[in-house]
Amino acid sequence: MPSVESERWEFLERVGAYAAGELEGAEAREVERLMLETEDNRRLAESYAQMLALLSALGQETPEAPDAMVNYAIRRAYVSATLRRADSIMRGLAIDYLGALVHYLGLRPSERR
Amino acid sequence: MSIPGGSAEDRNLIVRASRGDVEAFSRVVRDRSGFVYRVAQRIVGPDKAQDASQEVWVRVWQRIQDFRGESAFSTWLYKITVNACLDARRKDQRREARELPEEPPYLPEAPTSDNDPESSALNRERREEIFESLEYVREDHRAALVLRHMEGLSYEEIAEVMDVPTGTAKGWVSRGRASMLVALFEKGKKGKGTPGGDAEAGGRP
Repeated sequence: MPSVESERWEFLERVGAYAAGELEGAEAREVERLMLETEDNRRLAESYAQMLALLSALGQETPEAPDAMVNYAIRRAYVSATLRRADSIMRGLAIDYLGALVHYLGLRPSERR
Repeated sequence: MSIPGGSAEDRNLIVRASRGDVEAFSRVVRDRSGFVYRVAQRIVGPDKAQDASQEVWVRVWQRIQDFRGESAFSTWLYKITVNACLDARRKDQRREARELPEEPPYLPEAPTSDNDPESSALNRERREEIFESLEYVREDHRAALVLRHMEGLSYEEIAEVMDVPTGTAKGWVSRGRASMLVALFEKGKKGKGTPGGDAEAGGRP
């Protein structure tokens, strides 16, 4: 059995869905009926509409990313790419060096025969 | 690799960046830094948006070679941005248990002469109030709420970005809306006091 608290949250969410225009048909009519019942319910729906309008208006704003952030991201990628290349060169050299050492010491299976 | 959406030049840049071309990656960063910063600001708040955005670009550079173009690049970028922001928020939890208030959560009237909600959004105090109230919404609910009501994504798109079923995305947006209204109401009641805690953690089953 749902608790009173849980029922109140559900009611709050239902009015929110109505204010967001996400309810249709019988569900929408049920919330409209509840709104006609009490002033509290009407004000609740108005508060939701006000909040959603604020969120939407804030959503229209397009803040610029700070230059420092953009430069940091690019600099980091350059450093990372340089390190990757250096790592690849070092690995190549190490493999070559190891190959030469193996050859010098005559450790290759075919050379030992 | 074929990338849905965007111009041919965009797609070419992303393919080059995914092959390790730093010049191309730099262009991607410059073109989309505003987008990443905007989403980060809405999910983690203005104070932490820069750090979160930097973390996003570090992850994008590390993972772009694995981007196969199965979804639009913008969806992939949304996903990385939302995940980085959620990780940042989880590190910095300030939520406490709080129950649903006894009285219905009405908003205090917007401090503008014409009481037009959209113009009140431009008011600095109102903007701060919104961001502060968002702080008290559980992180995944907040991200879903931001994607729906500030970024204008559909529930299907939110589900894809957040990697959850569409029903879960709907539930998160719905709970986020209710929690934010409660948080705004409590802020309005208390005035500009110390933030009190999560609007839903204690009250929502």
